Amino acid sequence: MGNKNEQKPKHALDPARWVDLYGDYLYSYALLHVRDASVAEDLVQETFLSAFRSKDNFKARSSEKTWLTSILKHKILDHFRKEKKENRETTNLDVSAVENDFFDNHGHWKIMPKNWTPEPYQSYENKEFWKVVLWCLGKMPERLKTVFLLREMDAWDSRKICKVLEISPTNLWVILYRARLLMRKCLEVNWFTTNGTKD
Amino acid sequence: MKPWIFNCKEVSRLVSESLDRELSLPQKIGIRMHLFMCNFCSLYKKQIIVMRDAMRLLAQVDEFPEPAVLSSEAKRRIKRLLTVHQETGSLVD
Repeated sequence: MGNKNEQKPKHALDPARWVDLYGDYLYSYALLHVRDASVAEDLVQETFLSAFRSKDNFKARSSEKTWLTSILKHKILDHFRKEKKENRETTNLDVSAVENDFFDNHGHWKIMPKNWTPEPYQSYENKEFWKVVLWCLGKMPERLKTVFLLREMDAWDSRKICKVLEISPTNLWVILYRARLLMRKCLEVNWFTTNGTKD
Repeated sequence: MKPWIFNCKEVSRLVSESLDRELSLPQKIGIRMHLFMCNFCSLYKKQIIVMRDAMRLLAQVDEFPEPAVLSSEAKRRIKRLLTVHQETGSLVD
């Protein structure tokens, strides 16, 4: 494996160690957002390079991993910005189409939300729960998933997302509305009502 | 639609929007009145907030449930790039 067995000081910011320690994590994080493995690899590579260039700015008050993840989040956003530049067409979601899937003509729920058991926080320790979360994300239309992740997982500001993706606030709200309805239903069906007895 | 009197469809949309923008006072009042009477929309509201919490938690997990593995080829390439930077860039440790 071409290991040059160099003497590396046991420094907190050792680049080779970074790649071994955080490479897979950052790659997994990127792959949630983008489907293409080579794009995800590039994002990880750019993250490490940026981190390395600005490593003097790293303050030990956050963990290395948190710091690297926040750099990756910016790289992901840049990726969507560039992608948007190349691909100009805007997809607007029609709110009435969204609503008709979930509500009847009188504005009532077609399928009523159920009480979630076990209590959601009791699921957080359970690996199976997170698998279901990821599965539900994977089932979401790509467009919705992108916006949902940028907003809910990466916690970007709504205005920032609108700017990057060049969509109107109204369209953003409709996309998130749709994404939340789909995600809510998916979690309910695949976890909270089927695995309710699991510990 | 009568002002301030919302049905489930309207409430669910506005509750979602309330996670992304500041609603108007009449909207807030309308939602509150509806939620007071409607258990389903109350559950919905609670659950979409739970989902947000879960997603923010997911952003901080130590390891993803089904982690993807960066190929050793990619790892080698990135390490090489970083080493080149280390050697060419002025490194003051």
